Amino acid sequence: MTAAAARPAPPRPAAPPAPPGTWRLAHRDRSLLVDRRAATAAAVLAVLVAATVAVGLALGTASVPLNRTLPAAFGVGEARDVLLVQQLRLPRIAAGLAVGAALGVSGVLLQTLARNRLATPDTVGLNDGATAFATASVVAVSTSITPSAFALVGSATAAALALGLAGGAGRRGYRFLVVGLGVGAALGAVTQLMLARAPIDEANQAFPWSVGSLNSRSATSVTVLAVGLAVALPVAVVLGRRLRLLRLADAVVTGLGSRVARVRLAVIGTAVVTAGLAVATAGPLGLVALLAPEIARKAAGPRVVPVVGAALAGALVVLLADLLGRTVAAPLELPAGLVTAVVGGPYLLWLLLTTRTRRMP
Amino acid sequence: MDDRLALRARSRRETAQGTPAPPRRLARGLAWGTAALAATVLASLLFGAGEVGPGRALAVLAGVGDDDARFAVLQLRVPRTVVAVAVGTALGVAGAVLQTAARNPLAEPGLLGVSAGASFAVVLVIASGAGAAALGPWVAVLGAGAGCLLALGAARLRGTGDDPVRLVLAGAALSALLGAATSIVLLLDQRTADEVRFWTVGSVAGRDLGTLSQVGPVLAAGLAIALLAARPLSALALGDTVAQGLGHRPARARGLAMAAVALLVGGSVAAAGPIAFVGLVVPFLARALVGPDLRRVLAVAVLLGPAVVLAADVASRLLVRPYEMPLGVVTALIGAPVLVAVVRSTRMPSL
Repeated sequence: MTAAAARPAPPRPAAPPAPPGTWRLAHRDRSLLVDRRAATAAAVLAVLVAATVAVGLALGTASVPLNRTLPAAFGVGEARDVLLVQQLRLPRIAAGLAVGAALGVSGVLLQTLARNRLATPDTVGLNDGATAFATASVVAVSTSITPSAFALVGSATAAALALGLAGGAGRRGYRFLVVGLGVGAALGAVTQLMLARAPIDEANQAFPWSVGSLNSRSATSVTVLAVGLAVALPVAVVLGRRLRLLRLADAVVTGLGSRVARVRLAVIGTAVVTAGLAVATAGPLGLVALLAPEIARKAAGPRVVPVVGAALAGALVVLLADLLGRTVAAPLELPAGLVTAVVGGPYLLWLLLTTRTRRMP
Repeated sequence: MDDRLALRARSRRETAQGTPAPPRRLARGLAWGTAALAATVLASLLFGAGEVGPGRALAVLAGVGDDDARFAVLQLRVPRTVVAVAVGTALGVAGAVLQTAARNPLAEPGLLGVSAGASFAVVLVIASGAGAAALGPWVAVLGAGAGCLLALGAARLRGTGDDPVRLVLAGAALSALLGAATSIVLLLDQRTADEVRFWTVGSVAGRDLGTLSQVGPVLAAGLAIALLAARPLSALALGDTVAQGLGHRPARARGLAMAAVALLVGGSVAAAGPIAFVGLVVPFLARALVGPDLRRVLAVAVLLGPAVVLAADVASRLLVRPYEMPLGVVTALIGAPVLVAVVRSTRMPSL
């Protein structure tokens, strides 16, 4: 054998200590820094989401005791419990989880992109675009194309219009925001126009898209949303590391070796897909995409762009809103979209009126 | 000494740039406004969603014509046109006054939540037991006043001229909040929902002159106050300190402006429901015609406001024949591009 093979491998240089506040996950010669506070925050949010799911499964017009809920979710227990929990509530809560997570991700991506925490799918018109096209799929054309596909096209159209007319997201994103507001208003008017023209039955069928609610989701759209999330969430997590850079000036980012335009495109694409699919499932749930990233940022601290945290917080907000809407005025049901709008509205106002210097997410 | 000096300086500048001097611009603006108003009034009387077309309607106006056409034109279209003229005047003037008072070219009663405040107040009062028929316009006026206070309060809090776009976002948030609250009240109370549908979607269809006789005095009072406040407000465009130096009282001027906007918007909501974007489009067009001085803008807005509302109303009859659609939808379609245009203009004009 040659001498080279016999020579022992050179000792690997000792890894530098992990920066304070992070954990290093190392495997062979690859390693990953995990922000401690962000990881803890995500874990806490996950626990909260799990608790809300359990309570949501148990509570309703007919309550099931908590200790019988979990078995019933897997089909074990009395027939009545299984019907209530597994057949009626589980699909609804699964849809709520997926919708909330999608909106949360979409919100955090758009906010970072526009460098402005007011930029969410509601404010820049993505939701209105998705709503208009989803309505069109029911009212205007009689094909078998699912509303999900149309809603995707709609949110993409709105994003393209808003970005194109505003000439890019801009440094502070305010022009983007108001142009988006205008695009949203026009698309909202188009929705009204279609509803005014449509026969009453079709108009009723399209009504869920005018107030966000988990009540009338279709099974197909939930499946499509789940598939979309399975793709978009990992992409968003990977993008999350680059997103931190987007908070800096373009020249700095380019100097650090990231291709700004490509990252932006990927971010917009992911935000459009998540917002469109979520709207196709549950309609425009007001302000979830604003509240969720805000909660996640508060919990995870300023160092990271909390993509996973935002997804969890979004799920939490939607589930809580749905739970409130189902129980507060029972037997009448308030749509979850109205609950989130009433809760989130004052917060948005307070945010707009109090903060003097804007710190970007 | 008053703001005449500043005006003269501005007119000299504009003449130097090749635009006509103010008197000629004003005359041109008034001519355009009158022509637009006359054309839209005529169109509003001639076109409809039903079977009575322009030919038969023209015959009625000429004094001949069959009974059907006579009924459609005299009993349906004339009152509708009159209400649209009143509402359009009110909204155009309110928009111009609010924009000057907030020193923000994007300030618009619909966008800032003033109309939403009026609608919400009406819904709340009806939900607490009052009948819709017995309700005067005052509830709507009070609601509009509260919305106006919030909007202008926000502008003051942020400091004037700080960020025009911020105020619009705050207004959008307020509108969304009040809209959601309105929906919840309506969901919980079916009786209110039936009586109130009228106030939640803006439209001038089927309004009779009786509505106008209630609302008319309110609108007239608002218009009078707006004209009274025009002079101090246009001085405020030069900044609070300068206005004070010229002998005006900024706080008083803003108070007058707020009262005028509350009366005008509340009255128009009581007559026709919330109609967004008119208060944005009309001052925008008026400024393009006659320049930024509020007094000249008001003179033209009085003509252009009704013209814009009438044009939107005629479109709302023709777009989905034989149905009609809410007027607010058409104004949003017209107004959204204007909003984009204002934001896109490279230098955001600060009023």
